[in-house]
Amino acid sequence: MDERFTIELLVANKYGVLNRVTALYAKRGYNIDSLYVHATEDASVSRMIITSHGDEYIRTQMVRQISKLYDVKKVYMMSQVDI
Amino acid sequence: MKLNGAQIVIKQLEAHGINTVFGYPGGAVLTLYDELYKASDKIHHVLTAHEQGAAHAADGYARVSGKTGVCIATSGPGATNLVTGIANAYLDSVPLVAITGNVSVPLLGRDSFQEVNIIGITNSIVKHNFVVREVESLEETLREAFYIANSDRRGPVLVDIPKNVQSDMCEYIGKIPLPVKRPTCSFDPDEVAKIIARSERPYIYAGGGVIASGAQEKLLQLSEKIKAPVGFSLMGLGAMNCDHALNLGLKGMHGRYAANMAASECDLLLAVGTRFSDRATGDVSEYKKAKSIIHIDIDNAEISKNVPPFMEICGDITDVLSQLLPVLEDKRHDEWTQRVIELKNEQQKQEDGYSTEGEFTSKNIIETVCCYSDSDTVVATDVGQHQMWTAQYYKVNKPRRLLTSGGLGAMGFGLGAAIGGSFAKNKEKTVLITGDGSFGMNLIELATAVTNDIPVVVIILNNQTLGLPRQWQTMFYESRYAQSMVDRKTDFAALAQAFGANGHRVTRLEDLEAILKNLPKNAPTVIDCPIDCEEVVLPMIPPGGSIKDMVIGG
Repeated sequence: MDERFTIELLVANKYGVLNRVTALYAKRGYNIDSLYVHATEDASVSRMIITSHGDEYIRTQMVRQISKLYDVKKVYMMSQVDI
Repeated sequence: MKLNGAQIVIKQLEAHGINTVFGYPGGAVLTLYDELYKASDKIHHVLTAHEQGAAHAADGYARVSGKTGVCIATSGPGATNLVTGIANAYLDSVPLVAITGNVSVPLLGRDSFQEVNIIGITNSIVKHNFVVREVESLEETLREAFYIANSDRRGPVLVDIPKNVQSDMCEYIGKIPLPVKRPTCSFDPDEVAKIIARSERPYIYAGGGVIASGAQEKLLQLSEKIKAPVGFSLMGLGAMNCDHALNLGLKGMHGRYAANMAASECDLLLAVGTRFSDRATGDVSEYKKAKSIIHIDIDNAEISKNVPPFMEICGDITDVLSQLLPVLEDKRHDEWTQRVIELKNEQQKQEDGYSTEGEFTSKNIIETVCCYSDSDTVVATDVGQHQMWTAQYYKVNKPRRLLTSGGLGAMGFGLGAAIGGSFAKNKEKTVLITGDGSFGMNLIELATAVTNDIPVVVIILNNQTLGLPRQWQTMFYESRYAQSMVDRKTDFAALAQAFGANGHRVTRLEDLEAILKNLPKNAPTVIDCPIDCEEVVLPMIPPGGSIKDMVIGG
């Protein structure tokens, strides 16, 4: 079922990381509904919160693909309750 | 110890056991080449004729040796010329470290002479890439590059080093390489064993992951223990001896009849180190019907990507099979075994119809070439009909001996790869089976083979056409041969001689044999073999089709 889903990422705080993450969405043709990036208490790490929509296949694929990026440290799929 | 950036690159290559690199110099890498010159006793640099050839050679070297391939190019056009080679390594999961020079840091981003943003260009075809803006981070970056290229699912990494970083000095620490990482696999072997025990018609679909993991012995044990026939993706060929009764050979679009039929009739499909590529599967909805699929792969993102399995196991194939084999029961399935024999007999009849003994046809040429090679000989291909015929009829009996562009399907891959493959085996004889179209793309690397005394044997299956496009045009475009009939007048034998190689044109199998019997040990040989352009690759499952659409012909 097509649903909104939100992924929270902890990524290396470097130039080009946002590009690598959003390129994966673009490669599979998934539109990003909202995107939020901010610094964290750890200067080497940024947090990204990306909302998109898709069925379970898309959600699982995105988490697995993003997890493979070298600059991505952690990936969480946020449930509706978290949001 | 204080070193400049270029010296740090040399130190890191040595630290990672790299003694052969492939590349092409240019303005932005001259400092690095100056250090390569000084270190030529430790690192052999092979100069290719084009950077694409260097990337393919490094790829071929990596596939044969199991080590990391390294290629070097200058900024701008040098870097862009590597792109096809990097994409090729990415799609076939080959560990490759590509080093490019770039303009000095203050000139970056200003559209300087020979500047491109190679990081942006290669983003989607590498596991990761780096631009090194300070020499202080170079050592660590190179360690990470080799680590990433070899960890988990292997693949290419690009390191872009601006010119000033190559000459800037800093303290070199000399840390040892990072230990390679593999995914930790957790699954319940007993549960898998139960599913396998219930199966009456098990089938193994094996891919390049088996070879990458060195799991060929384990695969053989699995197949024999549960009496499951094995069909291979293109990347998996060589993981099992071709004469083994349970080896059905290539599966997929141009896969062999028995391999595809058995895959469609099985009740349990064990996918081992493979990714259900569209060329290996056809219509994926077929895979959801009446069968259980257990998908074992090193890359979690490949599982459920194209085909949803009943059970997924993420892990290195050797790891997974080592845990699974001890708990498996020996099985027999007499009916299924009998059915597989029937399918193979049927296949033999069909294949006998494709070609008459003694005729100068692709099948007979490839089988002749195979007869004059031993199982340790590296065979490379380009892309097209000749590639599929090689996959069908050339007996690749050992892993890491077939070099072929599987995922990318890059025409022009073969000659560079064959040269790289030969370097990985101390300049031994290597065979390249190619077509006139593919060979035309990167034949300039003949110069590299001549200069380096590489005994590569180039067999050109010359049908004066771009065979696979033409075959599709015959089948799907009512024989309108749009730009597939190349109609060139190239004399390949004379061309080879012009390069300083041996060149022949033969039209009979006896003449081919005579040349193959007396090959020079330290020079390339090109053998132009004219064949009929009406020859087609069969069987064929049309793109997106299923087993019921299989064209057998003959």
